[in-house]
Amino acid sequence: MVESTQKQPGETVFGYLMLLLSTFLFWQAYQISGFEALSSPGAFPLAAAGIMVISSCIVVVKNARRESPAHLVQGFFTRILPPLVAIMIALILVYAVVLDSLGFIPSTFVFLLLAIHLLHHRSIISSLVITTGSLILIYVIFRLVFQIILPEGIVPEREILAWLGNLFGSKGN
Amino acid sequence: MMEALSNFAISWVSPELMGLTALGTFLGIYVGAIPGLSVTMAVSILISFTFSWDVNHALCLMVGIYMGGVYGGSRTAILLNMPGAPSAIATALDGYPMAQKGEAGQAIGLSTVMSVIGGFVGIIVLSIAAPFVSDFALTFQPRDYMMMAILGIMLVGSLAGDSLAKGIFCGALGMLIGTVGLDPLTAEERFTFGVVELWNGINPVAVMIGMFGISEALTQLHHMEKAAVRQKLDKILPAWRDVYKYLPLSLQTSTLGVIVGALPGTGGDIAALMAYDYAKRTTKNPEVPFGQGAKEGLIAPEAANNAAVGGAYIPMLTLGIPGDAVTAVFLGALFIHGLNPGPMLLAEQPEMFWFTVGNLTLANIFVLIFGLTGIRLFTKIVECPKGVLIPLIFLLSVVGSYAINNSVTDIWWMLAFGVLGYFMKLYGFQVGPVILGVILSRLLDENWRRAIISDQESLGMFFGNLFHSPLSTFLFAAIALILVSQTPLWGMWKKKKPSA
Repeated sequence: MVESTQKQPGETVFGYLMLLLSTFLFWQAYQISGFEALSSPGAFPLAAAGIMVISSCIVVVKNARRESPAHLVQGFFTRILPPLVAIMIALILVYAVVLDSLGFIPSTFVFLLLAIHLLHHRSIISSLVITTGSLILIYVIFRLVFQIILPEGIVPEREILAWLGNLFGSKGN
Repeated sequence: MMEALSNFAISWVSPELMGLTALGTFLGIYVGAIPGLSVTMAVSILISFTFSWDVNHALCLMVGIYMGGVYGGSRTAILLNMPGAPSAIATALDGYPMAQKGEAGQAIGLSTVMSVIGGFVGIIVLSIAAPFVSDFALTFQPRDYMMMAILGIMLVGSLAGDSLAKGIFCGALGMLIGTVGLDPLTAEERFTFGVVELWNGINPVAVMIGMFGISEALTQLHHMEKAAVRQKLDKILPAWRDVYKYLPLSLQTSTLGVIVGALPGTGGDIAALMAYDYAKRTTKNPEVPFGQGAKEGLIAPEAANNAAVGGAYIPMLTLGIPGDAVTAVFLGALFIHGLNPGPMLLAEQPEMFWFTVGNLTLANIFVLIFGLTGIRLFTKIVECPKGVLIPLIFLLSVVGSYAINNSVTDIWWMLAFGVLGYFMKLYGFQVGPVILGVILSRLLDENWRRAIISDQESLGMFFGNLFHSPLSTFLFAAIALILVSQTPLWGMWKKKKPSA
């Protein structure tokens, strides 16, 4: 349990942000029932938030005693939030936004294709094949086997599944 | 007795349950083996997909994943010097040198058999000790539960992270997340900001998937350049002469593993490292020096980490208190499936206890079967490139969060906690105590209120009564000791001690 003597880029700011968050939550916990009674609904959250405030203060003080790294901004964008991580977070964010409206199949296809192409560094054909295979596998496992309800969006999935069911059903008759 | 046996055998006689246990163990071995995937991550994601299932079915799959995952970590530790799970770190120390000498097959075979022996020791201890612990736990006061939960969070926080302050911060954050929503006793709003959707609180599964799935996968993006190394493997059956020869060491380290696993805050990873150290100290003349491919250095951690699984189940099932992050996630799964782990579980639902013991035994047998077969398929799957694996983890995390309530809101929570967890990890805050805090929040809140009401809302009385019970005194002393050990006073005392 040894802390390195040098801080990571952005660690000071993160420490202060955690202190800020703790203080805000402490204030919010106080709003529940103030210091009314030790068994009140707000007592436990108040204690937890108080612990957060104290421990984040310790973290901030400890951070202040440690060496700051050279090239702060540059270091932050190479060691903490490299472009690849930022792009992936943005991609997941966009995926989550469009998942409900576009539906599972088209949004997942685009998300997987972009992510695999970005991270796997192979030709677009190879990314397309892997994406399609993975999507089919996941759809079969989760939608058809596990019966998980996934957003339909613009694809009339139920109709297609019913049509496929009828097709194979009628062939069987 | 007969009833216990029939419950023990439920998953053995039902082809469906047996199939799910086998599938879980098989998947667990790969989850444990593939660096970047963890058992905690897999169980977190799986909870969201299986919570509508019958409890026995879901448990079979998850127990299999847990048991298989703890073992699976050793595979890549031996073959690639990349422990698939923290509990396999010690395995790599001698397992990888064995593989470099062309003895990878033998190392895998030996580690499989010893893991299974360790697993059995853990299960036997669980079935013998749990009823006693459970009876003892019935005498616990609410304050004892409260302090035990605090102790667990503090131990996980202090052992895993790089500073106790950060560990405590994470635990408290988790507790606070767990209080969001309507107060279960008075229905008063807590941290809801007037948003009706928050009345039911933040789903712990979304927090788990974010903290263990998304944040871990984002961290993996830093190591994209690490390519998988191919290993030639054909025969993996161990030499039975070796199994017989190292059986005493395996049994000793299994016992150590089960004890360490049962303690709060210590899981398979610490058990494995301690067992490795034990083997190093007690083996006088190893055939090969430790660190260069000593079989003792491979056997000890493997037996211990699988034995720790049985050990970890003891506090989880009898006290309702998880020992580490994996058991915290598992405990969350049990709550979601309507089970109430704690001292009353054995009295009210003994069938669930014996079912779990039987299922763990079955999963352990499947570890032996899958561990000694299918090596060609294994090498193929483990070589799955990270560029494909990571997008799939993201996808499963998003779909898993959506599946909790068929709502995009859970995806937002998952994503927010994923990004927060990512930064927390990079800055030395561990996510394990957060999950422990979320899971234990309700238990802490309720027991605190019970304890303080019974002490007439007086803190003086609360602390005064604390010293009337040996258990409460012990727990309080342990918490105080951990706190004091982190202050400058402790450092000064330690410096003075040698000169005294």
